[in-house]
Amino acid sequence: MIYDNLRTYSLLLPNLILFLAFSAYPVIWTLKYVFYRYGGYGSSVPKFVGLENILRVFRDDIYWKAVKNTFVYAGAKILFIIPLAFLLALFLNRPAKGNGLLQGIIFVPTIMSAAVMGLVFYLLFNVYNGQINQYLLHMGIVTRPVNWLGKEHAMQTLIITAVWGGVGNYMVYFIAGLQQISEEALESARIDGANRIQTMWYITIPMLGPILKIILMLSITSAFSDMSSIMVLTEGGPTNETMVMVSFSRCLPAVPLHRSMVMVRQSVLSLQ
Amino acid sequence: MSKAKNRAALAGSYLFVGIMAIFTVYPILYTIVGSFKTNGELTRGEHFFPEIWHFENFVQAFIQADFIKYTGNSFVVSLAVLAVAVFTASLAGYVFARKEFVGKKLWLVMHTGLMFIALGSVTLYPIYELLAKMNLNKSIVGLILALVGGQSTNVLLTMGFVKSIPKELDESATIDGCTIYGIFFQIILPLIKPILAVVALFSFRHAWNDYITTLIMSISLPKLRTLTVAVVQLKYSVNAAAEWHIMLAGATIAIVPILIVYAFCHKLFIGGLTAGAVKG
Repeated sequence: MIYDNLRTYSLLLPNLILFLAFSAYPVIWTLKYVFYRYGGYGSSVPKFVGLENILRVFRDDIYWKAVKNTFVYAGAKILFIIPLAFLLALFLNRPAKGNGLLQGIIFVPTIMSAAVMGLVFYLLFNVYNGQINQYLLHMGIVTRPVNWLGKEHAMQTLIITAVWGGVGNYMVYFIAGLQQISEEALESARIDGANRIQTMWYITIPMLGPILKIILMLSITSAFSDMSSIMVLTEGGPTNETMVMVSFSRCLPAVPLHRSMVMVRQSVLSLQ
Repeated sequence: MSKAKNRAALAGSYLFVGIMAIFTVYPILYTIVGSFKTNGELTRGEHFFPEIWHFENFVQAFIQADFIKYTGNSFVVSLAVLAVAVFTASLAGYVFARKEFVGKKLWLVMHTGLMFIALGSVTLYPIYELLAKMNLNKSIVGLILALVGGQSTNVLLTMGFVKSIPKELDESATIDGCTIYGIFFQIILPLIKPILAVVALFSFRHAWNDYITTLIMSISLPKLRTLTVAVVQLKYSVNAAAEWHIMLAGATIAIVPILIVYAFCHKLFIGGLTAGAVKG
């Protein structure tokens, strides 16, 4: 019996070590330093400061800007992605030739590095040299180059990038949900004389309930923790216009670490 | 009327899908096609295709920007992360699905919770400190371990899959005198290959594409950088404005391998995604 137990634990050991070192310990460390002053890597003993860090964060305008930006970013991302992904799933779930290929194409951004593509979008949206402005000027849609990464448009550019990167992912979830709806339910609704919009509203959408919950949860958590593309594309700027809570926490040298730690704590709390 | 209406709806839906497909493909094509242009062509021209295809951009990226080394790093790191992830997640997933042990419930709750809570990059500080204490912050081992991480998603995926295998198989093997190791390696491991393929693929992609963790972990030793980090760092180089063609060549080098992997296993990518979601 004891040997059995030992053997069981021996199989768990590799994951246990990784879990304790890279999942549990960092969380505990972060929670602790919400209440301590952190001098930096390798510095002296941390000092307990109680709620001081939290109060300082609450008095910080940039923090509140980051909170606002996070909600704007996450809200807009979800508002665009979910309907687009749903429509794509609806159209591409039909067993027509080429639909599989189209699904495959629209899913591609999901497998690519958000950071590398952030760099590519940075070049594409460049004010004077970017191809998007070149096209817009060429076609006469705008008369002056649009400052995509400037104060007014930076957030919109980030949202476009986020939609680009996320829509295929949620399309696949919606397709999985659509495929679980029984053909009979749709058939019987059709026999009862429901038209396409009625079937969609009364049968398809309610039956997507369970997967919709998963989609909402995943999209909210991922929208709140996105940062690779934001870091590369705008670095939170210009003048913190696109600073979100998670990117604030990256402790750019100007930002004291203990402050940013509390921000992360806030962003976690807002998820729960 | 309904036929004409139907046709209009169908045309509309294809128009929509077509626009979305172009929107999706355009930045990728821009990267790959652009990597053959000169810097001047890139920064001034509205032509989509280059006048002359400049293959020397890649020579320059590989040799001057040292991308041979970074490509090697990317492959070593990603394959190592894949191996460690598959090994640890399959063992833990099996034990979680089949055995009772002290602390199982708590640990499961923590695994599930941490899968959805993104503490973000602040956790990189304690991880970095920890690795530094173990003298691993200047080695590729530390980077690999940091990228493997706690494996919550992979463990839960594997656990779900093991649960779908009939228990009688292990029980009869136990009666035949098999130990837990024998059961795992001879019975379970061959049967969970499909989910391990998903774990392998996702771990490889994660390590290949990761930016922030790799950036922080390679701060003290820049020669550990992977392709993703090296490419993005070009943006901050002194003459970045004159190096668009190198950036795009680098980006192409960074995305083409994963695109090739995707071309061969796109069913696994898409299937693996929903396997986790529908069950969870």
